[in-house]
Parts: sequence; structure tokens; C-alpha cells
Amino acid sequence: MEQTISSLTFSHYFLTGAVLFVLGMIGFITRRNMIVMFLCTEMMFQGVVVTLAAAAALHGNVTGQTFIIFVLTIAAAEAALALGLVILLFRRRQTLDAGAWSELSG
Amino acid sequence: MIDSSHLILVLLTLPVVWAVGLLLPIPGLQRKRYAWAYSAVTSAISLTLAIVVAMNFDWTRPGDMQLSGSIDWIPSMGLSFRYGVDAISLWLILLTAVIMPVVVLSSLIEVDHDMRQFHFWLHILEAALIGTFVAQDIVLFYVCFEFTLIPLYFLIGVFGHKEKLKAARVYFLYAFTGSMLTFAGVLYVGYVGWQQNGIWTFAISDLYEIGRRMSMTEQCLVFAAMLAGFGVKTPLVPFHTWLPLAHTEAPTAGSVDLAGLVLKLGPYGLIRLAIPMLPDAALAFAPWVCVVAVIGILYAALICRAQKDAKRLVAYSSVSHMGFVALGLFVFDPGGIAATGAVFYMLAHGLATGGLFLCIGMLYDRFHTREFGRVGGTAKFMPVWSFFFMMFVLASVGLPGLNGFPGEFLTLMGAFDSELWWSKPMAVAGALGVILAAVYLLYMAGRMVWGTPIIPPDHAGYLEGAEHGVDPNHRHDLSWREITTLVPVAALCLMLGLLPMPVLRTLEAPVVGLNEPVMALVEAEERAALRVAGDEAGDRSQATGLNGVGTGAGRGAGEGSQAIPLRVVSADGVGGEGVIGDE
Amino acid sequence: MSLFDPQIAAYIPWVSGISAVVCGLLCLYPQYAKFAAGVCASAVGVGFVIALGIWGNVVGAGTAVNPEPLMRWIEVAGLEANYGVYLDGLTMIMLGVVTGVAMLVVIYAAGYMRGDPGYARFFAAVSIFIFAMTTVVMADNLVLLFLGWEGVGLASYLLIGHEYHRQAAVNAAKKAFIVNRIGDFGVLLGMFCIFDVFGTVRFEGFLPAASALLTGDGSGLNMEAAAAYAQATAVLADGGQWLLMAAPFGLMVGAFGKSAQLPLFVWLPDAMEGPTPVSALIHAATMVTSGVYVIARTMPLFELSPYALPTVAIVAGATAILGASIALAQYDLKRVFAYSTVSQLGYMFIGVAALSSTAGVFHLVSHAFFKALLFLTAGSVMHALAGQLDIRKISGLRHKMPVTFVLMGIGCAALAGLPVLTAGYWSKDLVLATTFDRAIATSGGTAFVYYAVGVVGLLTAFITAYYCFRVWFRVFFGEERYEMGDHHHGGGDGHDDDHGDHGHAHEPHEMDWGMNGPLVVLAVGSVFAGLLLGPTHVVEHLIDGTSAEANALRVGDDATPYVKAVHTAMYFVSALIAVAAVLVAYVLHGPKRKVEGDDPVRLRAPKVFGALNSKLWIDEVYGGVIVYPVRVMGSVFYVVDAVIVDTVVRGLGVVPRLLGQGVRPAQSGRLHGYGLGMALGVAAVVAVTFYAMSRGG
Repeated sequence: MEQTISSLTFSHYFLTGAVLFVLGMIGFITRRNMIVMFLCTEMMFQGVVVTLAAAAALHGNVTGQTFIIFVLTIAAAEAALALGLVILLFRRRQTLDAGAWSELSG
Repeated sequence: MIDSSHLILVLLTLPVVWAVGLLLPIPGLQRKRYAWAYSAVTSAISLTLAIVVAMNFDWTRPGDMQLSGSIDWIPSMGLSFRYGVDAISLWLILLTAVIMPVVVLSSLIEVDHDMRQFHFWLHILEAALIGTFVAQDIVLFYVCFEFTLIPLYFLIGVFGHKEKLKAARVYFLYAFTGSMLTFAGVLYVGYVGWQQNGIWTFAISDLYEIGRRMSMTEQCLVFAAMLAGFGVKTPLVPFHTWLPLAHTEAPTAGSVDLAGLVLKLGPYGLIRLAIPMLPDAALAFAPWVCVVAVIGILYAALICRAQKDAKRLVAYSSVSHMGFVALGLFVFDPGGIAATGAVFYMLAHGLATGGLFLCIGMLYDRFHTREFGRVGGTAKFMPVWSFFFMMFVLASVGLPGLNGFPGEFLTLMGAFDSELWWSKPMAVAGALGVILAAVYLLYMAGRMVWGTPIIPPDHAGYLEGAEHGVDPNHRHDLSWREITTLVPVAALCLMLGLLPMPVLRTLEAPVVGLNEPVMALVEAEERAALRVAGDEAGDRSQATGLNGVGTGAGRGAGEGSQAIPLRVVSADGVGGEGVIGDE
Repeated sequence: MSLFDPQIAAYIPWVSGISAVVCGLLCLYPQYAKFAAGVCASAVGVGFVIALGIWGNVVGAGTAVNPEPLMRWIEVAGLEANYGVYLDGLTMIMLGVVTGVAMLVVIYAAGYMRGDPGYARFFAAVSIFIFAMTTVVMADNLVLLFLGWEGVGLASYLLIGHEYHRQAAVNAAKKAFIVNRIGDFGVLLGMFCIFDVFGTVRFEGFLPAASALLTGDGSGLNMEAAAAYAQATAVLADGGQWLLMAAPFGLMVGAFGKSAQLPLFVWLPDAMEGPTPVSALIHAATMVTSGVYVIARTMPLFELSPYALPTVAIVAGATAILGASIALAQYDLKRVFAYSTVSQLGYMFIGVAALSSTAGVFHLVSHAFFKALLFLTAGSVMHALAGQLDIRKISGLRHKMPVTFVLMGIGCAALAGLPVLTAGYWSKDLVLATTFDRAIATSGGTAFVYYAVGVVGLLTAFITAYYCFRVWFRVFFGEERYEMGDHHHGGGDGHDDDHGDHGHAHEPHEMDWGMNGPLVVLAVGSVFAGLLLGPTHVVEHLIDGTSAEANALRVGDDATPYVKAVHTAMYFVSALIAVAAVLVAYVLHGPKRKVEGDDPVRLRAPKVFGALNSKLWIDEVYGGVIVYPVRVMGSVFYVVDAVIVDTVVRGLGVVPRLLGQGVRPAQSGRLHGYGLGMALGVAAVVAVTFYAMSRGG
């Protein structure tokens, strides 16, 4: 275990977090399906969570881990809310395409 | 009895509590009359409390901040809830507390829907006004100052007359734009303080010190920013056009609050913040402010003469009258006579103009018009109303013995007595406003009160009873509720006119205190001018020399500020926690 | 010999103040309105009794009595204006005249106004007037004087507009107030100058100081005056001379406004729209004389400026002859007396301008008697003839109204200054004689001014005697003929005086003794006041000491023979003039007159008469030069305000709107657009942070 960890530097963890976040962001911007977009945001969350965990280990304190719990809780609550909204929107237009909604145009 | 320093807090929160109480799901409050009665009682309690505060105030030292206290808000930013009152604040608070029940009483007929919302906003407005007057922290001051916009926006926009939405919007935009600039100026002073001392502070007393040490250029910029906010509120010409519109469209209560209380925030801000904080700039700006004020006095007075709508006339007369206040604040006479008069005039104007608006509102309740020619000759069929109306008209005219006179007179006398070379012509021109005030107000009285009775055709029934002569209980004259509304205002008008001493005596010390830095500059100027020997060193050189010394002093202060070492707090914080580089 | 402490005088105005409140409350209870007259009369009576009671104390004191103020009014920095009284001979004379005449007029009005729907309101306003007028004459500082000064203006406004349903009355009231305001503007400026120079507005302070400046000797002043003197010398050394010169001109403008002198006299004739007792009390006997009082009171200031008194003399002389000339071409009984008042006020000003407060105030006193008498008798005629005042339509009333006939005759004789017996003779004489004295005492342009004014005064005396007897002859002599007017005794508008006693409206009749009684007192005064005050020089003894120079002109026992000669000559000259003028009036208008229902002068010189009859179009000139431009300017500014100022200021609001238009497309409403924007934003922040750290690091 010691060996494995030492071969993996903190940079790897941060990089993993960053990759997850960026992939999520690309997905969010390119996909049109609202459920997929929503999943992408979840992925971005996980990227942040990984980064937080790595930072916690680096500093040797539990602040980061505390935040992870916090983020996950929020994410769960938000997931419930967001899916509900998506279903509501689907019922209105019978489509999951995010492009169908552009009422906020200025 | 609770600690007297908490009294102010209670005074401030009480209206909020009353407002929240109106929101509670109590079924009775849905009824118009109950909501009205609730509000009347609660505002009366607030008034009682204001009187208790006044009784706890030590009137022997009216210039000191008393009953003060502080509660931390955001300590790291130097923000705290500092409060306290001196005599100026206290008299304005008392004015607020007196006007509020009166306004509530007057609103029974005019507000035809949603009485709860109406009184909710009235209470919020009272809280915001009191907050502004007690604030000793400039951010708190600013928050409350701005917050007066919101209730008035709704009072005008929801309960106003025909063009209410436009009026509310214009009022909001004018006042908000101006006060954003003021806020920028305030923040800048705070920032300079932070640069100099390394800590954030927004306590007004600290900012006085900081502001006075700024260079002339900085002072002038900040002063201009403050003038933008306070000048629009006062209002100074040419930023006054929101006022006639807002007044005309506002409900009676809105007009009374606006004219009686909210307009006072402008001059109050000037004398509380701008003048003591930025004395050099105040002195440099003084002639221009006075020119604008005098133009306002005459210009608005002439416009009044061309009005057909009584309410709009009174609105323009407010512009004219507030010109006296601005003039009085900026002439800097040796005894502080003008500034004392100006602050007194703020109180007096609140009552007299408030009374006029109340009267006009009562007329509008009956005939749904305020236009000359559509309603007139009220002396015949509404004698009691006419009596009160004439009284307020005469108070506005500045008749000695009523409240308008001491303020107007002291303002002008102080202006004439000032050592500044330009002040005498200002006083003379301002005094012309006294003639014009009589011209337009008696024109209004002549059209409304005297002459043949005229009423709109669709209310013709009102005139029939008039044949029986004077009878206060007749249905077209004032009801007891309305008389109760007007009597306190009228009584105060008479009292402040005949016995203004309690107010004047207590106003003098704080006003002189706040003007002291400017007066020191003026005196330094006098001495400098005396040193410039020779006959041609007359009035002119006095003025140019004045700017010279102001700049010199400012520059010296600016250099001093750079000598104080900079302590960069935020850089330390970031540096201490840099972790990534370690790996 | 004195009953009361002078301190008690401070309560005189407040007694009337209470009366005003009580009468005001009586307005609410019409059934009790009839008590208003009693309340008002007793308040005035109390004032009169107090005035008499303290007379001895004050006059005996020799100097002005200035007790501690009753209450504080305004005290800021060095400015001190409290409810204090300043009592000396001048004050006491004025106080006696004001309260005395007021009491008589109130008693008369109690009958005259009966049946008027505004009965209580009338007496409330009269009470306000007495409050204010007694304040004017007793105030111990200029600001308090100004309170009374404006207060009498208010009372005048309310009383002129008493019959507020008539537009003419409303307009006249407004005009009176506004023209007076122009004068008040002057008083304000004068007050400012005085405060600037002396640092005080108290008479006790600046009057002795001004006298000291006049003599250049500042010793022996009381503390207050010494301080004022010290400040004044400092200010004068510092280039403040012009303030001292300007002060009397400011007060002068005020005095001319209140006392209806050129060019501000236009309000007084219109003020006759008020009920006749008001015309008698306010617009003849008391209020209009307060300008004279103010100049007499502040005489040392006027002496300090070399141009002030000659200016007063010129204006007063011009007003005197102009007012008299207009009066001789009026047909309206009250208007004749109104212009006569304007003219007589000119005499009073000539008196004070000739440095003789004595002459001015003496004429003021006698004028108060005979002009109040004339107005009240005119009121009786009007009352009897249901509002008819046109002398072309009245003739030969002496049998119907014998008492009024005699009383008005006495009044006219006093106004004309018929020799020996009448008060007008003595006082007008003194005015003209002192004017010539003054001319002799001065030299150059000033002397010319006083000579000219003296001659104008003599000419005016002739016209005066002519026009008042013209009226008297026309109204009471000749064939008995009259047309009834169209309204009842000046009050009410038909439907509301059913309970009044208008059974008399069909036939002219004599007044009852309740109304004639006060007139008899006034008539006695008109006759004996002159004999009492003239040859005995009582007024001079009371008013002396206003200045050293004025004392030199005294015509009492210590007068120079030369001055005595002038005065003696004047007795004869003015007697001759008066008698001659009455003879002319007798020929043209007497019982054997040839022209009925018109004026023979008009037939001879229609243009001149027409010009005078239409008051030389002075009102029209004012309308065109001041009133109309103000109105037009107001309208123009209003349009400018609504269109230009508003647009420009609101134009600034276009900037944010344009900015908004510019960035509006960014709000596409598409989720992906926002997402991309957010990502780019984050990227930008990250990039900047990295850049900064790499540089810093």
C-alpha cells in the first residue's frame, strides 16, 4: 500500500479531478438531452470531490473531507429536485431537448 | 426600565415589528378598517417611544451623540451597527414619528385596496427613516437611506394616481442613480482610510478625520459624488423634475412622507456627512451650490405661478423651499445662524407642506379633482377645511408667528451676515423668493378657498347643504377623523412659529459643531486676506486666496498619507497558505 | 399717577390674541357668534386701559422703558429677538391711538356688521389685527416688529377679503398682501443690514449706537449699545459703509409698502373692498401709519445716510399731491377717502422726512381721528343706502341723516384743515412749517428738495380742502335724491341674512346711537385733539430725544425766533388756503351748484379728469410691467422644465439603455449558450490567476 501510494503523487489525484470536471463541462455544453446534461453536472461535482479529497490528504486535515460530505448531500438533494424539474419540462413539451426552452431570450 | 442606550434599537425595530405584524395571517387585518386602526395604534406607540427617547436625551448637551451604542455586523470589514442621536437627528426622528400617525389617519378613504400592504410599507418607511437618522456608521446610513426608496416605490407605484408607474420608476431611477454615486464616494473615503491606517472603518466619526486629510482633488470628487445623491433628494435644480411627477401621482400619504420626511434626507446627508467630512471641498463648492439653490428658489417659484393643479403647485413650492435649506447650509456665516435656520426650516417645511398635502388629499377624496377652476370657493362650503388650508398656506408663505418664518428668516439673515463675498447677493436674490412665495401661494388660496363656490358637476349634491352656513358636522366639511389628523400638524406649526426657542436652542450647538471645520477654513481665509495688504485686495482676492489655502492644506495632508507604511493584509493571507508550490 | 408696572404692557397683544382664538371658536357656533364683538371690544378695552395705566410711568421715566422680555422667541448666535416691549413717548402715543380708535371702531362695527354671516370671523380677524398692531408699536426689536408688521398684513388680507364670494374683494386682498410683501422684502434687507453693522436688532442696542455714530461720541452708552457701537465702528472701518447707507432705504421700501406711498400705493384704494369699519381702522387710522412709525422709531439710522430723508421727502411729496389729485376726480365716496389717506400719509412722511417725528406723529394722531370719522360716516351713508357710494347718485341727504351730516362735516373740516378749531389744521401746519424750517437749515440740493416739497404740500392742502368739501356738499346739499345700492350693508349676499334687520333697506335713515356714539367721540377728538396737542406742544415733549438735530427744530418754548416766525406765517398761509379751497368747492358743488349728477370739472377738462379718474393708469402699468411678465415667465419656465430640463436629465438615462441594447444578444435564452459562457468565464478567471501566480511566484 505504501508503495502504491508513493508511486501516485498528489498531482495524479488533482489531474483526475480536473479531467473529470472538464469532461463533465464538455458534456454539459455539447449534449442537448437534459438528463445527460444533468448527469454531466454530476460528473463535474465528482471532479471537485476528488480534488477536495486530494487536498485534504495533502494538508493532513479533514476540512476537505467535511466539504465532500457537504457536497454529496447537496448533490443528492439537487438531483432529486433537478430530475423532478426535468420531468416537469418533459411533460410540457414532450421532448428532452434543452433547445426547446429559450424563453429567457432578452 | 431598560438601559437607555437600547432605546434607539427598540425605536428602530418597533416599526419593523409592526410591519411584520401586518403580514401575520390574522383574518381581521383583511378588513380595511381594522388594518387602518391597527396601524394608527401602532404608529402612535412608535410616537410615544420617540417621545420617551427624547425624554432620555440630555438636552443640556444637544451637540453630543447620545444614547449611542454599537453592535458588530461584519467586524472584519469594519462594519458595525453604530447608532446614536444628537439634537438634529432627534428632532428629525420626532418629526418622523409625528408625521406617521397623521399620515395613517389620513389614509382611510384614499386607499381603496390592500390597506395592509399600504401600511406595511408605511411602517417600513418609518423604520428606514429612523435608521438613517440614527446611523453612525456610514454603510448603515447608506443602507437605510437607500431603503427609503423601496417603500416609497411601492407606495407610489401601487397606490398612486393615473401615471403612478411612470412616477414610481422615474423617482426610483433618479434617486438610485444619484445615491449610487454617493455610495462610490463613501466607499472611496473608506478605502483611503484603509490605505492610511490598514483597517477598514466606516464609523462616521472616523471618516470625518480621514476625509479631512484627503487632498483637494479627492475631496472635490467625493463631494461631487455625495452631492449627486443628496442633491437629487433635496432636490436641487436641475435634478428636481422627478419631484413634481412623484408628488402629483403619489397618494396623499406618499406625498406627505416624501415632502415632509424623505426630502429631508438630502440636506441631512449634506450636513451630517458631506460638510464636516470634506470641509475644503464644501467651501469650494459653496458658491455653486448656493447659486443653484437660489436659482431653484426663484425658478420653481415662478413655475408655481403657472400651475393649475394644486398638488403640483405645492410640489414645485417644495423645490423652491428646499432651495432655502440648501442656501442656508452652504453660506457658512460666523454664528451658524443660516445653517441653524436651514435645519429648522427642514422641520418647518415638513409640517407646513405636509399639512398642505393632507388638505389637498382631503379635497381630492371628496371631489376627485385638485384643479383650479374645477373646485374652488371652499370657504363657503368647507369652512373648517379652508381654515386649516389657509393656515398651512400662510405657514408656507413664511408668515411670522407660524413655523415657516424662523427658518426662512434665519437662513436669509445668516446668508447676509456671512463673510464670504458672494453671500450677500445670494441673500438678496433668495429674499425675492419671499415675495414670489406670497404670489403663488395666495394665487392658489385665491383660486381654491375664496371666490364663488365651484365644484365638479358630478358632485353637485355637495353644494346644496352649504346654504345653511357654517357647520363643522356637515357632510362635505371635515369629519372628526380629518380634524384629528390636521390639528396636531396645525398646532405644531403655530407652536414652532411662536415659540421656536426649544428647537432653535438645541439645534444651534450640533449645527455649529458640524460646521466647525469649514468655519476654521473661513477664518483662516480671513486672516490670510488681512495679511494681503492693499486696497485692491478687496472681496475678490479673498475668494481666490480661499481656494489657495484649501488646496495647500489638502496637498499637505495627501503627502502625509503616503508616509504611512502600507500593510497589505490580503497579500499576507495568500502568501501564508501557498501549498501547491511546496510539492 | 401710574396704575400699572410697565412690564404689564407686554400682555396687551396677547389679550387680543386670546380674543382672536375665542372669536375663531365662536365661528363654529353661529348661535353664539353675537358675543364676538363683545369679546373683541373687551380685549381692546383691556389694552386701552393698560396703555392709560402705564402712561404716567413710561412718560415719567424720561427714557425708554425696556423690561425683561415676556418670553423668548428667536435667539441664535448673536441674534436676539424676544417678546420684549420698548416703551417711550412715541410708543405710548401709537398705543393710545391704536387701542383707542380700535375700541371705537369695534363698537361701531358691532352694529354695522350685524346680520353678516361672517360676524365672528370678522372680529377674529380684527383681534388678530390688534394683536399684530400693538406688537408693531411696542416691539423692542426689529424682528418682533416684523412679526406684527406681517401680522397686520395678514389681518388686512383677511378683512379686505371678508366678503370672499366677491371676486373683487378676493383680488384686492391678494393685491394688498403681495404689494406689502414687496415692502417686507425691503424691511428684511434693512434688517439684515442693521444686523450686519450693529450685530443686534434690538432698539435698545442699535438706536443709541446709531445716535452715537451720528455724533461720533461713543461714551456713556449702556453695555448693549456700546457693544453695537464697537461692532459698527469696526464694520465701518472695514468697508461696511454701504450697509449703513442701505439700511434706511430697505426700511423705507417697507414703510412705503405698508403706508401706501409711491410706487407701492396701488393696494390701498382697492382695499376699500373690505367692510367700512375695516377701512376706517386698518386702512386709515392705524395700520397704514405703521410705516411712519417705523421711520420715526429708527430715525437715527435715517439721519446717518445723507440721502435717506430727502428721498423720503421727495416720495412723500409726490405721493401727497398725486393722491390728492386722483381723489378729486373720484365718484366713489370711499375711494375719495382712500386716495385722501394716501395723500395724508404723504404728509406724515413729509413730517418725518423733515426730521420732525413730532410733526409726522402729530398728524398721524389727528388723521387717525378725522379719517376714521370720515370713513365711518361714509359707512353710515353706505349702510343707509344699501351699498350706494356713487356721489353722482346721492344728493341732499342732510334731512334724512342729520347726525351723519354734521359728523362728516366735522371730519371734512379737519381734513381740510379749517383754521383754529380742527386738529388737521394744527398738525398739517406743523408738518409744512417744519419742512420749511428744514429747508432753511440745510443748503444746496437738500434745501431745494425741502422747499419744493413744502410748496407741493401747500398745493396739496388746497386740493385736499377742495375734494373733501366737494364730497360733503354733493352728498348732503341740494335737492334730495338718491338711488339705493344693490346689496345690504356691505355684508351677505342675499340669502343668508334673513335673520338680519334689513327692513331699513327701503329708506335711508339715521344710525342708532350705538353706532353714532363712537363717531361723536371721534368728532370731538378731531376738533379738540388739535387744540390739546397743537398749541401745547404735548407731542413734542413726548417724542423729543429721537435725535439732537431734531431737537433743534422744536417749536416749543426754546425755539429760535426765526423758526417761530416761520410757524406763525404758516398758520396764516394754510388757513387762507383751506378757506379758499372750501369756497371753490362751495361754488362748484355747493347748494347752488349748476351741474347735477356729474362733476363740472369733468365737463371743462375731460381729458385731465379722465386721466385722474382712471388713476393715471398706474394699475395697468403694473399689470403690464410686473404681473403679466411674472405669469408669462412662470408659464415659460414650466414648459422649459417639463420639456427641456426633464428631457435633458432623463436623456442621461439613454446611456444605460444603449449599453443594454448592445449586450442584449448575449441573452439568447439557450442553455448551452449560458453554459459555454460560464465555462469561458471560469477559463478566463483560471488563466488570469495562473498568470498572476506565475509572475508573483
